Amino acid sequence: MTCREVRPLLLDHERGTLAPEIERDVEGHVQRCPACAREEAAERALTQGLEQRLPRYAAPIALARRLRSQWPAEARRAPSRWHRWRRALVPALAVAAGLLMILPLSDRERATPGMVTEAVNDHLRILSSHHPLDIESGGMHQVKPWFEGRLDFAPVVPFLGDAEFPLRGGAVGYYLDRRAAVFVFTRRLHEISLFVFRAPGLPWPSPGPQLVGGCRATSTTSRGFNVILWREGELGYALVSELDLTELTQLAAMIAAGA
Amino acid sequence: MRSEKADREPRQRWRGWRNGGTAGALGHEALAYADTLYNLARYLTGSPTDAEDLVQETYARALQAAHQFTAGTNLKAWLFRILRNAFISRYRRERHNPTVGGLDTVDPTAQGLDQREWLRGDAELDRLWAIVGEEIERALMTLSEEARTAVLLDLEGLSEAEVAEIMGCAIGTVKSRLARARAALRVELRDYATKEAR
Repeated sequence: MTCREVRPLLLDHERGTLAPEIERDVEGHVQRCPACAREEAAERALTQGLEQRLPRYAAPIALARRLRSQWPAEARRAPSRWHRWRRALVPALAVAAGLLMILPLSDRERATPGMVTEAVNDHLRILSSHHPLDIESGGMHQVKPWFEGRLDFAPVVPFLGDAEFPLRGGAVGYYLDRRAAVFVFTRRLHEISLFVFRAPGLPWPSPGPQLVGGCRATSTTSRGFNVILWREGELGYALVSELDLTELTQLAAMIAAGA
Repeated sequence: MRSEKADREPRQRWRGWRNGGTAGALGHEALAYADTLYNLARYLTGSPTDAEDLVQETYARALQAAHQFTAGTNLKAWLFRILRNAFISRYRRERHNPTVGGLDTVDPTAQGLDQREWLRGDAELDRLWAIVGEEIERALMTLSEEARTAVLLDLEGLSEAEVAEIMGCAIGTVKSRLARARAALRVELRDYATKEAR
């Protein structure tokens, strides 16, 4: 293949959507041709820039509220057999809910697989990113003002970092479908990511029995990472690291204490 | 990242609402896309206020046309199509905005092989890796509406077929629009890099 033939295929090559035989030819050419290899790297850099750094705007809360109020509520449907049995099922469900509260936390991970998976994925993206931080800092006083105008909410993080958990910096990221303030702390050689985002509309688990800084939190382990989730008012928090759970909980408590 | 986005937003399947469901049932799912629609609207209009109006109009149109939504098809793509149509009818006619023209406003030579040979060294490639979000946003806003839309819909993880349906063109056209838009973006970003290097 020539450079002219390969160039239009580089995006599909990057996304792995080429037919195997064409993919082989393109890959072979890219390995032999420094100019096309650079071009491929540039395409990847552009993709990463668009996906990870292009600001993403969330609908203002007032707009979301207005839309909800304007769309008609779901019409009442004809009573079904389900409704007839509902009265009998309510006590049973109450018992089930009670049992759920006393199950180990790890069993309840299934209640929020999406939120936990997203937190771990986002943390991994930070670890593997060439430029994980938009602002590097010597302290929260430098990082928090940086978020002004970049988010449609103010991330409330009263813990400023200390000698045990120094704050490395911050960035604007995403958590599921919404923008998030990302704070990166360290503990010895461990990286710790804190995502702060708007809490409404997410599949939060029922508050766990664990009290973290006055908030009911849920802690789980996924793929070797510890994840602590909690919400405070309109804001949600996800703290992720491979750090020992006891130490991570210690940091969560300091963050949640004044939030 | 792109595939993850696509995975986490599966096609909406409306088995119930069409046969006895209501617009209310559709609305519950449709409203979950408010942020995504607002983001696109913001980049199309370039203004928070206009974006809010556009999203509101989109939902009003969706509500009126709820009975036309086909069960088993992609709700997000359907809403995007409504939003884009609303944008075109509302803004293109009212404002006669030259930047909201066809893709021809993007320099066609940008896709030429020679023009794309701008990464002359690792330093320039490093600069592209280091480019910040605001610069990408600025570069994106210099593109024509069609180019911008192609890039943004691609970022949403929609298939080329879905983007083609939203934009009312052939799949091949989507491919070429996206390639040209990305080439134009890189030219813009190269300009920023060059200016910064001076």
